[in-house]
Amino acid sequence: MIAAHNTSYLSRIKPGWKFGSLLVLSIALYMITSWQVLLVAFVLSVFLLASARVPMKFLRGPLISITIILGVVFILLGIQTDWLNALRSVLRLLTMCLLAYSVSLTTRFSEMLELFQQVASPLRYVGGNPDQIALALSMTIRFIPELKKVYIEVREAQHARGLANNPLAVTVPLVVRSLKIADETAEALDARGYDSAPTRR
Amino acid sequence: MELPPIRIENVTVRYEDRDVLTDVSLTLNEQRIGIIGANGAGKSTLSRLLNGLVLPTQGSVHIGELNTTQHSKQIRRQVGFVFQNPANQIIMPIVSEDIAFGLKNLGMSKNERQQRVAETLSELNISHLSDRESHTLSGGEQQMVALASVLAMRPRTIVFDEPTTMLDLRNRLGFQREVSRLSQRAIVITHDLEILEDFERVLVVTDGHIAFDGPADAAIDHYRAWSHA
Repeated sequence: MIAAHNTSYLSRIKPGWKFGSLLVLSIALYMITSWQVLLVAFVLSVFLLASARVPMKFLRGPLISITIILGVVFILLGIQTDWLNALRSVLRLLTMCLLAYSVSLTTRFSEMLELFQQVASPLRYVGGNPDQIALALSMTIRFIPELKKVYIEVREAQHARGLANNPLAVTVPLVVRSLKIADETAEALDARGYDSAPTRR
Repeated sequence: MELPPIRIENVTVRYEDRDVLTDVSLTLNEQRIGIIGANGAGKSTLSRLLNGLVLPTQGSVHIGELNTTQHSKQIRRQVGFVFQNPANQIIMPIVSEDIAFGLKNLGMSKNERQQRVAETLSELNISHLSDRESHTLSGGEQQMVALASVLAMRPRTIVFDEPTTMLDLRNRLGFQREVSRLSQRAIVITHDLEILEDFERVLVVTDGHIAFDGPADAAIDHYRAWSHA
């Protein structure tokens, strides 16, 4: 889930401040042991996310998933330890997730990449290339839906041939088509003037 | 817009032991050039020679004074390339970021990039796609975004490799309209012969050779006759 366009006040805050605050608040949440304080933090995180003006259609899926996962965590922790401890842990995780959504859904992907490049810039001194890592990250996010489409097409084709339950029959064409996509994308990178050499700063 | 001539001089391209193109020589000065031919005839290789994606095994390719072997970076600025499958050409998760990608490679500042992206989207009447996630675009929208990403770099020549293969009739007509409006030189590799009707020059490629080189109607007739033989 990436922020395409958000006009809330949160989108105007510099990404470095937002991610820095998220890190500090997440650490702080682990130091708090009072469930009442954690409950207040959770309520505040709900207000923060609500104030981010993210359309509900983007939030519905992730919120349902996180509720189910944390519901399971709550039950397991409650059985294994005690219910108050389970409540504290779940409040903590839920608050962190809502804070993370508030940050990620109000920050453009390009801004996150720029921040990453800044944070990872010391890697240059040990031969790393933050630009290349950032590009790889963005391409991973870009191509996950494409590969999912290819997987569905391959499965449908193999299903039509009665091979839907044969993992090899799905894996081999999936790998071959993925490699073809990689090949074409590499050509496109080349055609659009991408230079993999580290940028001099 | 001044369009530098493209000179292909005695070019042979060999993959492993097979000649994909054999001793091809051409000078292209026209603004609308089509390339047609059977599958595997060498059309895509010929098109990729034009911006240095493929380098000749023998011979040379020049865009104006630039040689594709020696000046690959400058050539990329002058010759844009729109691939057959736009989905594989769109690199960034958000449309506006994808169009800005090539501009960043050109070394443009953030403000310049933003301005150029907005201008290009507006020229193609697709400003409404600016903030869309790339994977949610339809085939026609993807092809327009791929064109925008190339146009934004302001090349003098744009090579299209079978650009309408994945488009329905409506999107094909829309794409054709946009291509006809371009001030750049357009070199279109296609099986869609209708696109080429008003092109100034069409090359028919057969088995790695230029089998015919002339006006669109004569070239199409030649290709049809060859296909039925």
